[in-house]
Amino acid sequence: MDDIILKNVTKRFGKTMAVDNVSFEIKAGSLFFLLGPSGCGKTTLLRMIAGFCELDEGDILFGARSIRAVAPGKRNTTMVFQNYALWPHLSVHQNVAYGLEERGVPRETIRRQVREALAGVHMEAYEFRKPNELSGGQQQRVALARALVVKPDAVLLDEPLSNLDAKLRMEMRREIRHIHDETGVTMIYVTHDQKEALTMADQIAVMSMGRVEQIGTPQDMYRSPANIFVATFLGEANLIYGELVAADGRYGSLRTPLGTFQGRLANREMREKDAGCCMVRPENLHLAGSGENQIPVQVADIVFLGEAEQYLLQADTTPLKALAVGAGAGVVKGQQARATFTAEEALLLPARKEGEP
Amino acid sequence: MKKGTALVIAVIAGFLGIFLLYPILYVLKEAFFSQGTFSLAYFRNILANPTARTAMANSFLLSLATTLVTALLAIPLAFLTTRFRFPGKTLLTGLLLVPMIMPPFVGAIGMRQFLARFGSINLLLIQGGLIASPIDWLGSARFWGVVLVEALHLYPIFYLNASAALANVDPALEEAAANLGSSRLRTFWRVTLPLMMPGLFAGAILVSLWAFTDLGTPLIFEYRNVMAVQIFDRTTDLTDNPEGHALVVLMLLITTVIFLTSKRFFGKKGYETVGKGTTGKAEKELSPFWGLLAMAAVGGVVLVACLPHIAVIFTAIREKWFMTILPESYTFQYFEKALGHNLTLPSIRNSILLSTVSAFLDIVLGVTIAYLLARRKFRGANLLDAAVMLPLAIPGIVLAFGYLACFAGTALDPRLNPLPLLAIAYSVRRLPYMVRAAYGGFLQISQSLEEAAVNLGSGTWRTVRRITLPLISANVLAGAILVFSFAMLEVSESLILAVKEQYFPITKAIYQLMGRIEDGAFMASALGVWSMAFLAVSLLAAGVLLGRRMGQLFRI
Repeated sequence: MDDIILKNVTKRFGKTMAVDNVSFEIKAGSLFFLLGPSGCGKTTLLRMIAGFCELDEGDILFGARSIRAVAPGKRNTTMVFQNYALWPHLSVHQNVAYGLEERGVPRETIRRQVREALAGVHMEAYEFRKPNELSGGQQQRVALARALVVKPDAVLLDEPLSNLDAKLRMEMRREIRHIHDETGVTMIYVTHDQKEALTMADQIAVMSMGRVEQIGTPQDMYRSPANIFVATFLGEANLIYGELVAADGRYGSLRTPLGTFQGRLANREMREKDAGCCMVRPENLHLAGSGENQIPVQVADIVFLGEAEQYLLQADTTPLKALAVGAGAGVVKGQQARATFTAEEALLLPARKEGEP
Repeated sequence: MKKGTALVIAVIAGFLGIFLLYPILYVLKEAFFSQGTFSLAYFRNILANPTARTAMANSFLLSLATTLVTALLAIPLAFLTTRFRFPGKTLLTGLLLVPMIMPPFVGAIGMRQFLARFGSINLLLIQGGLIASPIDWLGSARFWGVVLVEALHLYPIFYLNASAALANVDPALEEAAANLGSSRLRTFWRVTLPLMMPGLFAGAILVSLWAFTDLGTPLIFEYRNVMAVQIFDRTTDLTDNPEGHALVVLMLLITTVIFLTSKRFFGKKGYETVGKGTTGKAEKELSPFWGLLAMAAVGGVVLVACLPHIAVIFTAIREKWFMTILPESYTFQYFEKALGHNLTLPSIRNSILLSTVSAFLDIVLGVTIAYLLARRKFRGANLLDAAVMLPLAIPGIVLAFGYLACFAGTALDPRLNPLPLLAIAYSVRRLPYMVRAAYGGFLQISQSLEEAAVNLGSGTWRTVRRITLPLISANVLAGAILVFSFAMLEVSESLILAVKEQYFPITKAIYQLMGRIEDGAFMASALGVWSMAFLAVSLLAAGVLLGRRMGQLFRI
């Protein structure tokens, strides 16, 4: 198994740039997520790796070997389709056996390997059913078995859980992660569900409008998003716009209409006088804390979420959100309060000045 | 575009060019050019001829009346069967389609006996006190005789389109109208009917074109002054009298005008079902009383629609039948005689051969074309689509006339051996059905099913063979059965193209037998019963052969 390397990959559909000069590496054996809103190019990118979509420019390498000219069936990258694409006229066994037959594996071996693959996804009892006799979750497992049984170099998953109900989705997230850890196969997983990406991924590439916005581990991406898009796409974020008044490479101060805030700098290129944006996650905005950054707010509403309470706050004209787990922050609706956060909890992101493109 | 694809497209284009466009262009040329110069003389002659003028008017009225009767029969049936549940519904809705597979031409022979001056129907009507003196169905009222037989044959086509259209109307749309205070009748008028219009249009168009160009039924009823029969009569002196060409062009012109104008008025708007959140099936359980009434109504239509075929059977097995509703005594001698006749056995063999060949030809052509249209992008795809659908608007009689005219003196000359051209004519005419059936199949199966196979290492051809074809086999089979049955019963092409007795298909043999004075009708009916039996057996065999697999495939 090799690393998968994308070099300046570009694809246009008519005038729209579906994938715009994308380069990154996927480490062998990792569970790599392509995350983004619909139309961001993530599925196109996946289909280019599978070979169903040709590159306009750039190259895709498996290790040192370019696969641009390799036929889809010879790449040994198997796909799990959004609608599963199980062949309705073939039994579960025949579906899973298909790839092995194409590879000329002896019949006895096929029988054994299909059984093992089905056992791996807990579907051994359904071997001779037809796909339409299975539930959505079961079809999903068969589709996984079909992709895994040929021992591929990479498994490509195209929004595999989007057709399942919420509970089953949670179960399958753990299951797929488990299968990944058991087999150690490289998996490239396309989704628009940030929760899925945060809970499952080794690495995430967030995409928007054909470009990769940021690549990193879920923890890094959540704590230190590179820009406003990533900050708001992964989880919820309070944004307060202003201008940098101090920047020392790691920390800085941002002057905003709500006050001047200390925070971590998103990157070292940020300088004094730059436009900026202070990002604080709701769970880091405390109504009963003592962080160095403080904002006077009014509690506009309180939403009970079960395991937590969410506070909709009004700071002058800026709406903010805070989240308190457990007993709550002990405030009531309409009350004046003080929202606080530490410099470590605030991230200062680059922003565009008014009038800039 | 790959080289292989280009080659396949070229072959298909060549086939359609030679066997679809060329004959029509040839007829056009013959009609408009007299000794090499453009002339409208033939048209002036035809239009000045009072017989030809009446023929046109008659054909038009026949088509109109048939369409109206068909609509009156089919629309209520569609409502009953799509909106209500009643006892015996599944069986009866299946039986409703039976008349479509039986030839009206053969039914007409039997109906002549039922409709005779002192035939069963008049006797029934007189005994029931509905009429005082017998109606001359075969004389002065034979127009309505023809309409009756054609309507009884064609209503399933209308019914299928109407009920499909009705099933596509989201019941939520009707509920929305009712919710805003609209009465049921008003809801039907303002919401349901407009939404059904494209489907009704499709049904009406098919029925009216069929009735307008039908040759067999008027021929058997000796209602000779319609365009189809006039054209048929002119096929014998094709070379000396170019008026036939002009008449064919006129027929083509009228059918095109009917097609285009109705399309303009009714077919413009296609309504997609608005949302996915349908309220489920809107079938209502009828109370026992109304349920039985509905059953009786649908059953009654089935019975009446099978009248012509019952009549054929009676005609074939009667011994004495005069002034009584049912025959007095029966005999089976005509079945034996019919099989012993030197016309019949070869004709049965010819028909089976022709039907099989044309079905296979259409499978190959139709699946290939549907695959190209559904899965490949190429320039001229729209053109190919239009060309393939063209036979829907081109009457069989026009195509047959064109073949006879343009292939005279070539290796394919139907006067020498009509079998190749007959097989081709059958398949060209039914190609649209096959393409539609297969195309529907291709659209139904998600492209990801094919991609999944390619992804696991299959090549294009292996994917088609192992995944695509098995998945659309139900569609292909349905199309093939349709082509096979239609070929068995094709009338105009068979009557026009088959000239030598040894090459007669069944329909032409039946027509020939009808001409025998003493026992013609009985022999013809007996052969008709044989052909109906063949058809039933072949349909049944196909069903049994692929029954289980077919059932599974239809459940996808």
